[in-house]
Amino acid sequence: MRRIVLVAAACAAAVALASCASLQHSWDQGAVRQVADLLNAGQAQKLASMSVTPFLVDGEIVLIRTDVSSFWDGVAKAGFRVEGASLDQGTPVTAESYRQFANTMEVKAFFSRYVKEDARILSMTSNTGSHILLLMRSEWFSRQIIGFKGPF
Amino acid sequence: MKRAIVLAAFLLVGALVASALPADITYSEGDTTLKLKNGKQQEAQIGDVLNTGDALRTGKDGQAELDQKGVTIRISHGTVFTLMEKSQAGQTSTVLSVALGSIKFRYDKITGSEPQVRTNGAVAGVRGTEFTVFSGADGSSLFAVDSGQVTVESEGKSVDLVAAEGVEVPLGKPPGDKFTVHRDQIDYSKWNEDKLSAMLSDPEEAMTNIETAMAAYEKDTGDYLSQFNDYNARLTQERANWADISKTKGADEAKKYNTDVVYPLMVQTVALGLNVRYSTLAALSLRRFVAGRMYVFLKAQFIAGLDSARWTSFLARYQALLDGFEASIVPQLVEADI
Repeated sequence: MRRIVLVAAACAAAVALASCASLQHSWDQGAVRQVADLLNAGQAQKLASMSVTPFLVDGEIVLIRTDVSSFWDGVAKAGFRVEGASLDQGTPVTAESYRQFANTMEVKAFFSRYVKEDARILSMTSNTGSHILLLMRSEWFSRQIIGFKGPF
Repeated sequence: MKRAIVLAAFLLVGALVASALPADITYSEGDTTLKLKNGKQQEAQIGDVLNTGDALRTGKDGQAELDQKGVTIRISHGTVFTLMEKSQAGQTSTVLSVALGSIKFRYDKITGSEPQVRTNGAVAGVRGTEFTVFSGADGSSLFAVDSGQVTVESEGKSVDLVAAEGVEVPLGKPPGDKFTVHRDQIDYSKWNEDKLSAMLSDPEEAMTNIETAMAAYEKDTGDYLSQFNDYNARLTQERANWADISKTKGADEAKKYNTDVVYPLMVQTVALGLNVRYSTLAALSLRRFVAGRMYVFLKAQFIAGLDSARWTSFLARYQALLDGFEASIVPQLVEADI
């Protein structure tokens, strides 16, 4: 009897873990889809309202909120699109994640000071190339963009 | 990084020897963020105090007023203001830094030891009572005096301004010709928009100006650091001598040696450390609020055509600028500066 309970508990834990991973994967996919849809629709204002400061563009730290809005405005005005965007990989932020944006002391400090532990690094591929999105969860499970790199 | 920590420890000791006047926030409205020297950020509140190394940033709808013992500092929207200090002729003096945006300064009385005001490309010595400083997106500055006298200096050339006079200083260049300007006549937003447009339409020219200004900060940092290291080594030696004297010749001799030799050397070393820090932060300000913003705006502009010659040419020069910054300035920075 005891053995059956243990096996059942192990199975339940495995199912829970698998569903967590599956939930995480669908969160990552949803995030990529949302950002890609906004980019493709030229929704600069929405992208700006999802973004937080300090913000990272490639290896550049943007401290001023209106500069982040100007960045997304500029991207929309340039007619930039990410057709066929899909998630390549979603990973949690680690101590080495900063290198994916730039291998500099400034970007390392940015990650250490401003990026929450539950943030996700999402690699995205589209017809324009590869991108990296740095996202965090905010209240009510909505998403915040804290960094954008690409295309490269 | 280790070198930066040694320097920071020295400056901590230095804080006992000298410190700039704090500034109280007497008014705050809209989006205003206070970034403390230790890196902590918080919404600025009336009653908060800015100490050396602290910065105040106002957003699109933000404005604030500070009182620094007789100096009223009115900070407009879209401005980055930092309270800094440097050593000049053996004295620690306050420097009010306007990295971006516009600030109006009003002095209740002139004492002769007014803090300097700096932008990314110019320094103003103040003997005036009311004037405004504008710091533009391309790093250029504009000074407009309502009353009193202000001396603006850049690239070894200075210009004296009196009431109803103004001067513009392009980044990395000497001050231009003086012009007549009346109180509140300059529209900062319009002026800054023109500067931003010019910078984005001619990135090569803008990069040349940034490179010139950055090279000057890198040289200053290197020179001060080299002197700091020499003095620090001498100080270490003299402290060892003092310990020997203390053991062999007694407390009175040791005290005299400390007063005559060790303490003056320590004050000089601290002053040099202060100036390393000052030029390092000036370089960081130029990198963040002029060069970095230029990169971000141009990246957005060219994002759909990153193979264009204008972008790739800019990028090559930008990367060279960053390489120099990494080598000369970054080793002096600490995480809290970011």
